[in-house]
Amino acid sequence: MPNKSRFIVDQTTHTLRAERRMRATQDWLFSAWMTPAMLRLWWDPSGVPLAVCDIDARVGGTLRLVSAGNEQHGFAGTYRLIDRPNRIEFDAMGAAGSVVFRAEGEDTLMVVEIRCPTAEHLERMLQVGVAEGTAQTMDNLVAYAKAQAAA
Amino acid sequence: MSLDLVFAALADPTRREILVRLLQGEATVSDMCDPGGLKQPTISKHLKVLEVAGLIASDQRAQRRPRRLQLANMQVLAAWMEPFQRQWDGRFDQLEALSRAQSQKEE
Repeated sequence: MPNKSRFIVDQTTHTLRAERRMRATQDWLFSAWMTPAMLRLWWDPSGVPLAVCDIDARVGGTLRLVSAGNEQHGFAGTYRLIDRPNRIEFDAMGAAGSVVFRAEGEDTLMVVEIRCPTAEHLERMLQVGVAEGTAQTMDNLVAYAKAQAAA
Repeated sequence: MSLDLVFAALADPTRREILVRLLQGEATVSDMCDPGGLKQPTISKHLKVLEVAGLIASDQRAQRRPRRLQLANMQVLAAWMEPFQRQWDGRFDQLEALSRAQSQKEE
């Protein structure tokens, strides 16, 4: 599976890293992160468009992403660096996020890093992930049950 | 700790066998040598890979350095990483599908 992602936890720098190589240009991927009409289509892993996708695309500008049906848990942050088509940096949920786009032939390697200030913060971040993952599993189960009942 | 190292370490059948052996309790390199089977340098090499991956630890104080499983480390990592991975894998899948749809439209 050449297109699958790589995940790394660096516990010395309290960093989570997700990498994916894709058949797309740096510029297109950069736009996919910075254009609300595009970002709202892919941010939610379930494929359901975001209910809220506000992007103020300048340094110091804010971003706010809210999934449909999960209005109480949003993702909010502030852009720290916008360098088309190479790099985006933002602060979000007390952690420092960065996205790097590196051209590799016809593909682009996209590296997302979330650097937490402390090990405890990293731990909390992952626990939130666990909570979200669990919530999503429940949602899928409910959707499945509904589909079964309708059949 | 790198998941790549963990997965690479688990990809080898001899190393999985060593982990199963350590499930029974700590063991030294010579405990793990079996007659007609693996030799000490081979086992030491595999132990090193498992140790770097954080799956086992050795007691540096004891002269024969018995190895033991770091199961907690492994379970904790797996349990915590799974939702994070699923979330970003899902996102990347969506993004990739979007990119494919767009490039088809342009053609």
